[in-house]
Amino acid sequence: MLADFINPYHLQIASFILINILLAISVYVPLSSGQLSLGSAGFMGVGAYTSALLTIHFDLPIFVGVLVGAAVAGCLGIIIGIPSLRLSGVYLAIATLGLGEVIRVIFVNWESLTKGSIGLTGIPQMGRELLKLARNVGIEPAMFGLRNNQFVYLMVFVILLILVIGTIWFVFRQQNSRIGRSFSSIQMDEKAAESMGINITYFKVLSFSQGAFLAGLAGALFAHVMGYISPSDFSYHRAVEILIFTVFGGSEVIIGSIFGAIFLTLIPEVLRFVSEYRYIIYGIMLVILMAVRPQGILDIHLLSKFKRLKRSKGGVR
Amino acid sequence: MVLEIRNVSKNFGGIHALKDVSFKIQEGEIYGLIGPNGAGKTTMFNLITNIFEPTSGQILFHDTNITGLKSHKITEQGICRTYQNIRLFSQMSALKNVMVGGHCRSSSGVFSSVFRTKKQKSEERGLTQKAEELLDLVGLLEHKDTLAENLAYGQQRRLEIARALASNPKLLLLDEPAAGMNENETDSLYDLIKLIQSKGVTVLIIEHDMPLVMKLCDRITVLNFGEKLAEGTPYEIQNNESVIEAYLGREEDVEIA
Repeated sequence: MLADFINPYHLQIASFILINILLAISVYVPLSSGQLSLGSAGFMGVGAYTSALLTIHFDLPIFVGVLVGAAVAGCLGIIIGIPSLRLSGVYLAIATLGLGEVIRVIFVNWESLTKGSIGLTGIPQMGRELLKLARNVGIEPAMFGLRNNQFVYLMVFVILLILVIGTIWFVFRQQNSRIGRSFSSIQMDEKAAESMGINITYFKVLSFSQGAFLAGLAGALFAHVMGYISPSDFSYHRAVEILIFTVFGGSEVIIGSIFGAIFLTLIPEVLRFVSEYRYIIYGIMLVILMAVRPQGILDIHLLSKFKRLKRSKGGVR
Repeated sequence: MVLEIRNVSKNFGGIHALKDVSFKIQEGEIYGLIGPNGAGKTTMFNLITNIFEPTSGQILFHDTNITGLKSHKITEQGICRTYQNIRLFSQMSALKNVMVGGHCRSSSGVFSSVFRTKKQKSEERGLTQKAEELLDLVGLLEHKDTLAENLAYGQQRRLEIARALASNPKLLLLDEPAAGMNENETDSLYDLIKLIQSKGVTVLIIEHDMPLVMKLCDRITVLNFGEKLAEGTPYEIQNNESVIEAYLGREEDVEIA
């Protein structure tokens, strides 16, 4: 039966992978126009807290909360993006890292709203709400031979999967268009891009705020998957973790970010059998990779090699 | 009048890069800007495309003041340039480089790009077709899928010209297009620039290759230490005493074709 194959623990890890993919893409998009942003954890927090507070206090449906959370993060991205235009490279990274810390400190200190460092509990959980909804229209998990918790985790996974595929599709389409060409021309040579008639202000703010929106979306989803958030979920460590997804997998191509998020979320789980040593292995792996392959595992050259290989195989047939 | 430079000066700190320079470029001509290194030629290009703003003076394009207009707006108006030290988008294919050049003549936004509306599709087709035509014009059509960084030096220079032409400029600024080219390449560059002129594009060119400049240009301005030394036809310039003194050198030193 279906029920034998569905392990809630695996599904939960899969859901975290999907959220991490969104976060990795939220770094990738600004990077595709040459902006290294470490603000993802901060924007993620803004999305998470916005959506959590709206659904707790105003009883809004989760999907409205998630959308508003992502939109608020996106708007904050525009507001932060404009002054940040003066910065580039590592200076932008420092400024956005600082922004993330400011946001976290606000969460800690605005106790009347955010309950400080204790965090918010009782956030409506996506899976449970969906179960309720399903029951209202007369669908029981038992009809598919599933236990309730299997159904809950499966639904969460499916919804996240749809959102992630939609996001990848969006970014992919955008990349192979006038917008994507503008992003990459700015990344490769900002001055030349401007003298080709590209409004670099507009396109840099666009990509920065798209990244913020995606991070906010991921954060809001995170809140409704976990049901509990605290400021430490959006700390400096998270910012670095997200950056590593993209850098490890390869920051030149979107596949790299996706791969990095999947691989690096799985590794600590797979390495559970070596328990306390796993983060040492994780760390050693990163050091080796950065020494041997600073551009990340996947890059344009590797992908075009794959493509050529495929083509030549097709030719033989 | 395509372009009018009116009493333009530019100071960097205490250094006068350009001092009170004026000249006018007529519709359809090839106009040369020459002078020794450091005379302010590239600075003039940077002022026209507003990478810097002039300290004083005005730049008029088709009798409209474009001084202080944003760089990308100036490209939209119809001025596009190439660079002395090639600035291609090195990790993009030749075709994409030229398509970026067509950016300001297209308008698809995020929504239409993602959902591939009819208008967006036909716009992309148009851009691709135009880019291929331009690559053909500069003789790079067979290399359209090659990354710009993998092209030979002379090809990169030609690709830059194609990219600039993709923005439909009325005035094309070429910054030392023949630098580093051999004689054959320079000859075909001559043909290319003449062809561009015949399509109704006005050309302003900075060049050190004197035989090319003298053959190509209708009129020339000579800059020296940021000041205008002389202006005239190639014949007048070659026989101008102060130009010979400052830049060209005596007949016995340098052979002038």
